[in-house]
Amino acid sequence: MDTLATPAATSLAAAPAIDRRTPRWRAWLLLTPMIVWLVAFVVAPTAILFVYSFCERDELGRVVFSFTLENYQRVSDPIYLRIFLRSIGYAGLTTAICVVVGYPVAYCIGRASEVWRQRLLLLVMVPFWTSFLIRTYAWITILKQEGLLNGALQAMALVASPLDLLYTPFAVVIGLVYAYLPFMMLPIYGSVEKLDGSLIEAAHDLGAGPLRAFSSVIIPLTMPGIAAGTLLVFVPAIGMFAITDLLGGARVPLIGNVIQNQFMQARDWPFGAALGMVFMGLFAVSYWLLQLRGGASDELHG
Amino acid sequence: MKLLLRFFAALLAAAVTFAARAANELNLFGWSEYVPQAVIDGFTEETGIKVNFETYASNEELISKLVAGGGNYDLIQPSDYAAEAMIRQNLLAPLDLKRLHNLKNIDPEFLHRPHDPDGRFTVPYMSGTVGIVVNTGKVKTPIKGYRDVFQPAFKDRIVVLNDNREIVSWALDTLGLPINTITPENLAKVRPVIAEWVKLVKVFDSDSPKTALLNGDVDLGVVWSGEAAILWHQDKRFQYVIPAEGAHQFLDLLAIPATAKNKDAAHDFIDYILRPEVSKLISDAFPYTNPNREAHRLLSTEALDNPASYPHGDGGKLESFRDIGKAAADIDRLMTDLKSAR
Amino acid sequence: MSFMVELRKVTKRFGSFVAVDDVSLEIRAGEFLTLLGPSGCGKTTLLRMIAGFETPDAGTVLLDGEDVTQLPPYRRNVNQVFQSYALFPHLTVRENIGFGLRMQKMPAAEIDVRVAESVALVSLEGFEDRRPHQLSGGQRQRVALARALAPRPSVLLLDEPLSALDAKLRVAMQLELKRIQRQLGVTFVFVTHDQEEALTMSDRIALVNCGRIEQLGDGPEIYHRPATPFAADFIGEANLLEADFLGVNGGATVRVRVASGLELVLPAEVWPADVKHALISIRPEKLHISKSPVACENSFEARVDEEVFKGALDHLQLATTAGTRLNAVVANESAMFEAIHRGDRVFCGLHASDVVVVQSK
Repeated sequence: MDTLATPAATSLAAAPAIDRRTPRWRAWLLLTPMIVWLVAFVVAPTAILFVYSFCERDELGRVVFSFTLENYQRVSDPIYLRIFLRSIGYAGLTTAICVVVGYPVAYCIGRASEVWRQRLLLLVMVPFWTSFLIRTYAWITILKQEGLLNGALQAMALVASPLDLLYTPFAVVIGLVYAYLPFMMLPIYGSVEKLDGSLIEAAHDLGAGPLRAFSSVIIPLTMPGIAAGTLLVFVPAIGMFAITDLLGGARVPLIGNVIQNQFMQARDWPFGAALGMVFMGLFAVSYWLLQLRGGASDELHG
Repeated sequence: MKLLLRFFAALLAAAVTFAARAANELNLFGWSEYVPQAVIDGFTEETGIKVNFETYASNEELISKLVAGGGNYDLIQPSDYAAEAMIRQNLLAPLDLKRLHNLKNIDPEFLHRPHDPDGRFTVPYMSGTVGIVVNTGKVKTPIKGYRDVFQPAFKDRIVVLNDNREIVSWALDTLGLPINTITPENLAKVRPVIAEWVKLVKVFDSDSPKTALLNGDVDLGVVWSGEAAILWHQDKRFQYVIPAEGAHQFLDLLAIPATAKNKDAAHDFIDYILRPEVSKLISDAFPYTNPNREAHRLLSTEALDNPASYPHGDGGKLESFRDIGKAAADIDRLMTDLKSAR
Repeated sequence: MSFMVELRKVTKRFGSFVAVDDVSLEIRAGEFLTLLGPSGCGKTTLLRMIAGFETPDAGTVLLDGEDVTQLPPYRRNVNQVFQSYALFPHLTVRENIGFGLRMQKMPAAEIDVRVAESVALVSLEGFEDRRPHQLSGGQRQRVALARALAPRPSVLLLDEPLSALDAKLRVAMQLELKRIQRQLGVTFVFVTHDQEEALTMSDRIALVNCGRIEQLGDGPEIYHRPATPFAADFIGEANLLEADFLGVNGGATVRVRVASGLELVLPAEVWPADVKHALISIRPEKLHISKSPVACENSFEARVDEEVFKGALDHLQLATTAGTRLNAVVANESAMFEAIHRGDRVFCGLHASDVVVVQSK
């Protein structure tokens, strides 16, 4: 190990001063478009929302720049807290189902032969080429009373009368899982692909049957993938509103619906901004927590 | 690399052409499912003016986006109460009535409404009501008003508009309270009523409530009259009823925002819409109540017979919405609370 | 004598490629057996069949008399030290070593004891709480060894475990492994392509080539009496020469001519009967080099074409007057060390008994 450091150090010290400056310049230049985009479309709007959340509104719903904490006080109203919790509940359920459904699939793809891996990954990605809204509408066609699923079930004589599937929490969860499954599968696939096959053999060799090898070796080592997938699914799912509207019949408002309402029907932008800020805070906390876990596993691939 | 450069050059050229042609365009901001594509295409064919059509699903969305100053809209379709608010805030441009030759085609009954008594800022587009549609093939009991709809027997078989203000107004009607007096006391009174109703509703949909009815997922509901008219047209079993307790009559208008760039094109479009043959096209596609007298002569008997489009007059009192200002937030709060209590 | 591992006529194919071709092998309990051969010869496949990672297409595998051919690896009392060590990166040294014991559902207190023993065995005290990425190559190798030995398997398989270590460490580990094997008495099956390694550690060596075992025996046996040209060439260095039968030399020896004209005598019993042509092998160190004629059954002159100094030995490339090329080796304390240079003319002596027949046609 030590023998490696010395040649590298000497070569660095020997490099002329000019060479060391130029790469940094160029690096920043390459990053500029991305930084500009981020500042313009992420940082600036967030800052604007942050300012709005402390403002009041006029009759038409426009922002009036006078400082108030009223909006954040309203956020703590039990109505909205309840909605937050419910949204988190749906998101949590969605994430859990995505893990349970997505992990086996991602695992199989990750351990498949090179040729099959490409094909299967393509199958996972192809739905992305269709608009998200159209895919969600497709579920309406499947789940409605006279839809494909009910038709099939009745044709197979499994049910006597059509099932009430659409416009229920069941439909909402299906829609959410369907929308977010690829986001769970791809990071897990990444982790599985990096998995050293000889580790699984070693586990078997030492007496671990397939199940124990899975729980003792494979799951811990693919945990970074699961963590990344959770981050990509859980937080966005909390804010999802289109699926409740389309598949849930807009019966139960989730936090995304409430925020959308403030900017549309209720004409109360400052309150919507405050809700949005709290939601972002939630994301920051989740991210931080998952980073703690993920950081520990950085050593695994050290 | 070369391909990339060429691509960017083409993109740049396109952008420049777009900017250059902006002068010969009309930015129309209207309700989804309210302006037929044929009408738009006809206008473009005749005048060469390209129409960019954006949509919204509620007046509040219109106001929000207009106020946000996002798009430069040249022509909008506010409802009466929304126009009232906008006029008060000086958001609409006064119309050059001399350019609107076809304004005389409008039935005077629809002019001089409270939101714009002098007719300086708005032109009637379509009128309608929000009432009850019933699939008489599935529902055998007589439905006369809101109370008949929101019965435990119809649990999970009801569709209503996803419009919080509408729902509150129906509840106010059932209690005999004025629908434009949104006070904390009145809201407290309607709260238990709506709380019961919300438990019975299957779908909340303002975009296309007819879908759920056609799919057979619901059997009856409270929807826009235009939606009910389309349903009646497809299947005569879908009957339309003006609720006995009272109903909301809306008048949708054409208006030009004060910040519009293409005011001339906007005027041309309004005058174009006011032509009887164009107005008929709109009625064919969206069978609301057409305020254009001349257009009525071109409509078929079946269209005029449609009980949703041209109600026979039995049923409750018809009222229009007035602007309620900040009280919209109180309504939203109440409905959010009740909806999430399930 | 009971056999701890038996392979009976096992064959393994990968597609159309035959990796192991009808191999039978008996490994005695407590012995250190090495499977030695070049890359791709099938030695690793043989090892994996004993471990259970590959199932033979034909034949049976027996462990301690029991047919385990269809048993999965986690049911065999056999453990492997992998070439890449395959240490679990998310576990500490202690947890790695204890892994197999946990799989055996051993009580925690016992696990602690056994782990401590294993750590002491490989001299890694103080490292128990480190993670694999915090260890050097040699330390990881020792953890892999301890992990495989902790469950006290009846057979330990080692798949080129020393190939990643530097030369000095390799030699040290070779002796360590030998010591540990003797101490524990566990049967070791070792795979390597390094013949010196095989000679250092093994009780017996199985020479594997192209899916078959060409010779099985202890070091000296294979070295002094290689059975095939491959055996002669793979272990140590050898001068392999085509030889034609000339005639019998008075009963005790026979006379042969090597391709370019050099004539040699070798013991009569070594040359197979009624054979006109065979391949013979001469070890370089058996050629006695001198500046004056050497008294031997075989004695001839040669010119030194090349001289390579290699520390304890001096390697010479010779060409006889007849043109035969031979490699010779001279120890550097020999009186001749100072005196031999490129281009010199030297005298060679070779005992008849040092000529070995490796293949008869």
